[in-house]
Amino acid sequence: MNAAESAGPTAALTEATTAALTEATTAALTEAAIEAVRAASREGRLATLAEVLAALAAGGHFGPPEGQAEGQPDGQAGNQPEGQAMGQPADHAGPAQAGEEAAAPLASDTASMLPGIPPEVLAGILAAQPDLASFQSLSGQTVYHAPDLLSRTYARILDRKGSPLVLLAEEIRANSRDYPRPVPVELFEAPPFGLTPEEIGHVLQALAADPAHQDITFTTTPAGAVYLFSTRHLERGYAAFLAQRAESLSMNP
Amino acid sequence: MSGQHPEQLPELVRLAASAAGMEASLSRRGFLLLSACAVTSLAALGLCEALGAGAPLVILDNAQGMILADPSRCVGCQRCELACTEFNDGRAQPSLSRIKIDRALNFGPAGPTGGSTGGSIGGSGMQGLWGNGLVVQGVCRQCPHPVPCATACPEDAIQADPRTGARVVDAKKCVGCRLCQRACPWGMISFDEERQKASKCFLCDGRPKCVEACPAGALRYVPWRDLTREGQTVQTPLAVLSAAKAKACMECHVPARRKPKAR
Amino acid sequence: MAATPGGFSGKVLRVDLSTGKISTEDTVEKYGDVLGGTGLGYRVLWEEVPPGVGSFDPANKLVFATGVLAGTGVPCNGRTAVTTIFPTCWPRQLVGSGHMGGQFAAKLKYAGFDAIIVEGRSERPVWLFIRDARVELRSAAHLWGTGIRRASLEISQEMGADCVVAAIGQAGEQLAPMAIVANSLSHSAGGVGGVMGSKNLKAIGVQGSGAVKIAGDKGEWEKLIKFHLSILGGNNQHVVPSFPTPQSEYYNPGSRWVGEPGRRWGAAEPPVEITGNIFDLNRIAYRTNSAAFFLGEGAWRHTVRGNGCTACPIRCHTVVKVPSVAAKYGIREVAQNTCTGLLFGRSFFKRLPGGMQGQAALEACMVGMHLADDLGVWCNYGQLQRDLQKLYYDGLLKTKLGAAEYASIPWDKYEAGDPAFLFDILPRIGERRGELGQVLSQGTGGLFTHWSIPEETWARDHNTLYWKQGHPKHHANEDDGQCGVIINTQYNRDSQCHSHSNFVRNGLPLAVQKKLAAEVWGSPDAVDGVGNYTPMNVHKARRARWSLVRKELHDSLGLCNWMGPWVASPLKERGYRGDDSLESRFYSLATGQKLDREALDRAGERIFTLHRALTLRGMGEVDLRAQHDLTPHWVFADPSGAAPFSKGAIRMDEADISRGMDQFYEVMGWDRATGAPTMETYARLGLKDVGADLKARKLVPGDPA
Repeated sequence: MNAAESAGPTAALTEATTAALTEATTAALTEAAIEAVRAASREGRLATLAEVLAALAAGGHFGPPEGQAEGQPDGQAGNQPEGQAMGQPADHAGPAQAGEEAAAPLASDTASMLPGIPPEVLAGILAAQPDLASFQSLSGQTVYHAPDLLSRTYARILDRKGSPLVLLAEEIRANSRDYPRPVPVELFEAPPFGLTPEEIGHVLQALAADPAHQDITFTTTPAGAVYLFSTRHLERGYAAFLAQRAESLSMNP
Repeated sequence: MSGQHPEQLPELVRLAASAAGMEASLSRRGFLLLSACAVTSLAALGLCEALGAGAPLVILDNAQGMILADPSRCVGCQRCELACTEFNDGRAQPSLSRIKIDRALNFGPAGPTGGSTGGSIGGSGMQGLWGNGLVVQGVCRQCPHPVPCATACPEDAIQADPRTGARVVDAKKCVGCRLCQRACPWGMISFDEERQKASKCFLCDGRPKCVEACPAGALRYVPWRDLTREGQTVQTPLAVLSAAKAKACMECHVPARRKPKAR
Repeated sequence: MAATPGGFSGKVLRVDLSTGKISTEDTVEKYGDVLGGTGLGYRVLWEEVPPGVGSFDPANKLVFATGVLAGTGVPCNGRTAVTTIFPTCWPRQLVGSGHMGGQFAAKLKYAGFDAIIVEGRSERPVWLFIRDARVELRSAAHLWGTGIRRASLEISQEMGADCVVAAIGQAGEQLAPMAIVANSLSHSAGGVGGVMGSKNLKAIGVQGSGAVKIAGDKGEWEKLIKFHLSILGGNNQHVVPSFPTPQSEYYNPGSRWVGEPGRRWGAAEPPVEITGNIFDLNRIAYRTNSAAFFLGEGAWRHTVRGNGCTACPIRCHTVVKVPSVAAKYGIREVAQNTCTGLLFGRSFFKRLPGGMQGQAALEACMVGMHLADDLGVWCNYGQLQRDLQKLYYDGLLKTKLGAAEYASIPWDKYEAGDPAFLFDILPRIGERRGELGQVLSQGTGGLFTHWSIPEETWARDHNTLYWKQGHPKHHANEDDGQCGVIINTQYNRDSQCHSHSNFVRNGLPLAVQKKLAAEVWGSPDAVDGVGNYTPMNVHKARRARWSLVRKELHDSLGLCNWMGPWVASPLKERGYRGDDSLESRFYSLATGQKLDREALDRAGERIFTLHRALTLRGMGEVDLRAQHDLTPHWVFADPSGAAPFSKGAIRMDEADISRGMDQFYEVMGWDRATGAPTMETYARLGLKDVGADLKARKLVPGDPA
């Protein structure tokens, strides 16, 4: 949550918008905005302000209800085999999931009532939501997510995927700082990182050449495995010990 | 459709036709002519309920849902069996469970005398822990008409649940004769020794506990389809019908020579 | 204690093999205060087996005991403790227990029994037939000499598909101390197979159709079970996955929670892709894959599915299919086990072509499981294999073993890492062939005695991981500093305790672990970062006490201490807290006898104290501190000479450990000087009679020697 925006939505509203926004419409709008962020989180994406605005527009909150989503009843699967209650295909996954994907019901009476909403007002609304989180993405934009659906750690990884150098450096630092531990270099080949060994090699070379990342280094275990760590948070000797220990875990049942 | 007057129809068919609003136009033969589709369509019209408490129950409406089990996902933990009996009966008892894992866990349907253990060289027959690892879950098929367990019950204690269509044992009517147990080709009827009552899968009134309990997503609650021609039966059913039931069955299942020529 | 309306099956079966007499007694009335499992086993040994009785004496008893929660839907139950005078305990045989999972515990409960006490010695080989209330001894003449698999199959043929067979193989028959009893293909209890063999008892076959009743409200029961499921992680209760996920803030590449979307059970037909949300309760079984954890990612390809104990959603016994071994070695292509059982074959080799996670390693595992789980050989938590390595590579074997026998062993295969070596060495051990087979089948203590090797030789060599009394360390200072050391001093075999290691290895960041530690044990200082140890404090002593008490509690309730306790969870919304009162809540609902956490922990402490009393009586020595609670030299040494408490050193400081023992004895209510429980402690735990007996033997502190 950005401190500057912590005053809450009401304080951030311009006078004109305040006039347009009744209490009820604010509530509906807020709900829809939260849902837009949650929907993105559910799909493993970070939501930008523009995306939330677009979702609100598509939901008919501003202007004519173009392509307005049909409000669906909150289907409950009780007494019905999966797939029947919601008319979903029978091979839809788990038993508890029927209805989960249903679009949030949108109050149609909020449609056409707003000429639009200033982005900073929406930002204020989102910033005030205790169950949402935001941070400044590498691109400079503020991005939003719901940490219960998309964790802070995962959100940062997603954001940094476009910049493997930052991705590796920050992940290595966080591991060295928090757990603390060095991480095996293969970690970055697996999802969600998904880098090739060549890409990782290039990044590590770039990190070694970059004055801002001189803390990122590695240790090699006697068996030859490479573990990466940050000297800001881990002493070399301790990192070597932890690497050896990590490697030995599958030998120590 | 021509033939006898409705008043000459046996009670069961008359009742059925009456409930379907077809009383006037339906003869015994007419009913039988329809038989293949009539059973289903009449059932869909809610005839089963209309047959009333007194009538011997022959035709049950198809169930709405059933539990579908995928053996390749089964991890043999028996959590489904335990959920079935603990959450429904307040006791942990796989032998009472209405989904059956325990009996398939070690050797599969071939049993320990069924040949070499799969997984060994040249071996193939055996499933389960000692064979190829596969555990084939035993689930109630919620059979279409004729429902073997319901048909076998001399007390009409097995009926279709109006909410789910599951074939359920009415414990108040069940006298514990075990004929239903002998009638199910898949051995899916449990017998509660403590209460001396038969018990079978009742789909937990539409929220099957076993499905919820599976840690591997091997069970699903899906729209019903006829599974009675799939999978290995575990016993030769004993076909014993009470006199009243047999009579009712015979109302439809008449000798072929008495059937009118087709078309 | 009065009979409870649920939880217990109610009867203990007693089988006298000398007379053939079969009788039953009331579980709760006689053993209710020690719950079941090890508690029941210790009580039987205390009351019925005089000190000095050896493991293979007919006077020794063998107690198969489950617990209140076995056979229920409580996650991670399914355990049977097998308690006896333990054959590999050296130099004097003392109380110990082996533990097995599988389906045996549940079946025994459904048959109506909480435990089986086996006593005496049959004149001829027999097996015990249990079908509900019908119990018989049947001839095992046709089974004697067969492996566990054949014995299990033939007994299943006699009983029916739904029986569970716990059998010994050739190793047990020939009274090898290093022998197992195993049920359900891969679930074994170590060290006790020879005791069965000494009694001429080949197997126990059980069929049960009855119920374990839940006394409490079934809705409450369902709720509690679902709650427990919600706080489960992967194997060993590692509560964070090995990979970053949208659902968790944390991950740990070393976690045993290795299953994630994108992986698949490659040998299932057709393969099963892991999809959906791995945090979902319908996905728990996909989190753990022991083969992939221990043998590397390549093992996913060979994974058929997970398997394991009754009611456990974790499925740590991974079923693997490796078709190449059928052609190459003529063995079954499907096998399953976990941890040391899975690694039985691999652990023999110092080097394997392709490394410890390569194809040869996988094949060695397949061959190892094929042989060891059939011959019924125990590995003593890997000590067997380390002993052979030490003997061979230090040149000891060449000097000790006759030249002809030495030359007959294919050492070239051993050195080359050829799994075919196992076809030579394992039958030697299992069938006790030749001097090497005889010696290795006795266990580490046996080899010290036989070849006059000083125990020091092992205890000074860190690589042996040898601890004391013929047994190795089991999650000691390498995992948990002083806590690990204290726990490893307490038993007469490897400690088998996981209460402590499951917590420190759970994968949460140190700060979160410390927050939880403060809540559970009263101070964040109760845990250290691994290899960043701080001097001993009383909170660590309390955590050691809690760990041991919970271990005995789990062993006595039928729960798995390889999974529990559950004081951490994967749940962000709970601040990653688990629940420290789960066991007592389950106990109360199952039995209808309300016990809070403290009261149930007191039962655990009573059980642990009974083990202590048995050890005192067995040793005839009050000063356990000096004579029993020992730590090997290697714990106090660092190969590079690092000082204690320096970062990256796991070596301990001798004076600090001594202080640790002081604090531990104090929190236990034991005498600091001797480590023996005081009369007050016996009285507090309802063990006055035990205290009085020991007092008469001058085994209570303060008595003049």
